[in-house]
Amino acid sequence: MSDAPVKLSVANLSKRFGSLEVLQDITTQISSGEFISIVGPSGCGKTTFLRIIGGLEQASLGDAHLDGRRIEGPGADRGFVFQQDNLLPWRDILSNTEIGPEINGALSPEQRANTLRLLKLVGLEGFENYYPRQLSGGMRQRVNLARALAVDPALLLMDEPFSALDAQTREIMQTELSRIWEEGRKTVLFVTHQIDEAVYLSDRIFVFARRPGRINEIIDIDLPRPRPLSIKRTPRFVEYVDYIWKLIEEDVRVSVLQEHTG
Amino acid sequence: MWRASSTLTCCPNENQTASQSGEPAMTQSNAVSATGGMAKAPSFAASLGDFFYQRRWSWGSVFIGLALWEFISRVIVGSKLFLAAPTQVVYALVDLSGSGEMGKHVWTSTLEFLLGYGVACVLGVALGFVMASSKAGKQALQPWVAGLYATPTVALAPLFILWFGIGILSKVVVVAVLVIFPVTINTETGLRATPTQLVETVRAFGASSRQIFFKVSLPSALPFIFAGFRLGIGRGLIGVVVAELFGARAGLGQLISQSAETFNMPNLFAGVTVLAAAGIAMTGGFAWLEEKLLPWRD
Repeated sequence: MSDAPVKLSVANLSKRFGSLEVLQDITTQISSGEFISIVGPSGCGKTTFLRIIGGLEQASLGDAHLDGRRIEGPGADRGFVFQQDNLLPWRDILSNTEIGPEINGALSPEQRANTLRLLKLVGLEGFENYYPRQLSGGMRQRVNLARALAVDPALLLMDEPFSALDAQTREIMQTELSRIWEEGRKTVLFVTHQIDEAVYLSDRIFVFARRPGRINEIIDIDLPRPRPLSIKRTPRFVEYVDYIWKLIEEDVRVSVLQEHTG
Repeated sequence: MWRASSTLTCCPNENQTASQSGEPAMTQSNAVSATGGMAKAPSFAASLGDFFYQRRWSWGSVFIGLALWEFISRVIVGSKLFLAAPTQVVYALVDLSGSGEMGKHVWTSTLEFLLGYGVACVLGVALGFVMASSKAGKQALQPWVAGLYATPTVALAPLFILWFGIGILSKVVVVAVLVIFPVTINTETGLRATPTQLVETVRAFGASSRQIFFKVSLPSALPFIFAGFRLGIGRGLIGVVVAELFGARAGLGQLISQSAETFNMPNLFAGVTVLAAAGIAMTGGFAWLEEKLLPWRD
């Protein structure tokens, strides 16, 4: 935990779908500028947690406050990066990126300049007038990120944004995200299945346990920044990955077996 | 080889950016769009020649068909009262156009078609919207739409003429009745087919339901709605002609029925030819319009 002011504060948050308890009594605080990853086995409710913070779903009990304001629904103070890029196929890259400001009535020459700057930041300068279908998966995922950043969110929510990409593109996107994050130091909540991805990107990792979903352990990642990709081969890094894997191994085993036996 | 050159054509200056970031540069769709762009490059004359050459079997088939028709009507049938030869049809077309008669018929039919079609498109989209957005609306309208779409409503044309008279109003109604159902059904289907994850994406930015409709549902449904409009063209043309056959003062259908009664085969075929040309032109024009208005589609 840093000394920075509290950005997101979650208190006794629970979520049920019918009789199924998806999230149980989650209480935590995230400081401004922190990069937090959430890892855990399938079915541990990590995506549901992210969606509740994003306002796309309602908590059954408890609540969350962003900059002191209670989260009641979706809003432009959060930028959501989805697992699928979900770009609108009939809009070019520029107007896809600007849809957040457009929805919130904030289109302006300054906003346009900012959008162009963001597209440059994610490495898509010159692609403004392309349609999504003309771009590769990795490029579309960059637009997805630029679109979330375009509302200048207080909190960036990322739901397994690289899981649909191939392994190599994924590694590159991790370094790119790390670079982009270093420039803006947004507060990020990042859900992933990949433990090494979480260790590489994060200041802290929330390891979730399943049935019911809850925070099992919080791990501080004490690795210097900026982090080159080669850091993944250092003993410290591998130690973190091993440790987290051991924490969730049993849960993953059970969830895999359950999925296969129905 | 192909892939490499098409990458260059597609993104001359951005190529660098993509390869810098180490991504597997271009996708399949990119290569496709690039080749599409290259096909447009040759000169007009060359592409015209290409156009004929690529479809040489079609042109040959049409030419042989017309020649056979000419032969059969002149040599085997040998009477204009039963069958007019293509050349006689062309003469009739020239005559009818010169006397201004064809102009009168075309104008009447066009007016009937456009009014009926326009009304049906507007109402059809509105009804489709109601059916897609309200459960009560869907339940109330569904039996009528399904029932009347399946019914051969052209058969009701005499009834409409009885009700709305021999003038253009009865034809407008027939056209509208025929066109409205494919438009309604396609609009509803298109609005319902809106991908939920796209809706969720704009919702995450705080979009209102009105914004969701105009920024996501409607554009997403447009290809469906356009397909409905396109289906409507053929049905509308049938509506105009059939309604005119049952009684009219002017119009292509009236020209056809009057010519049949007087055994004027050249005029009859002239009317049919104009109708066929109109159908082809409108369908083709529509495909062109779709490409202009929906350039984002594959």
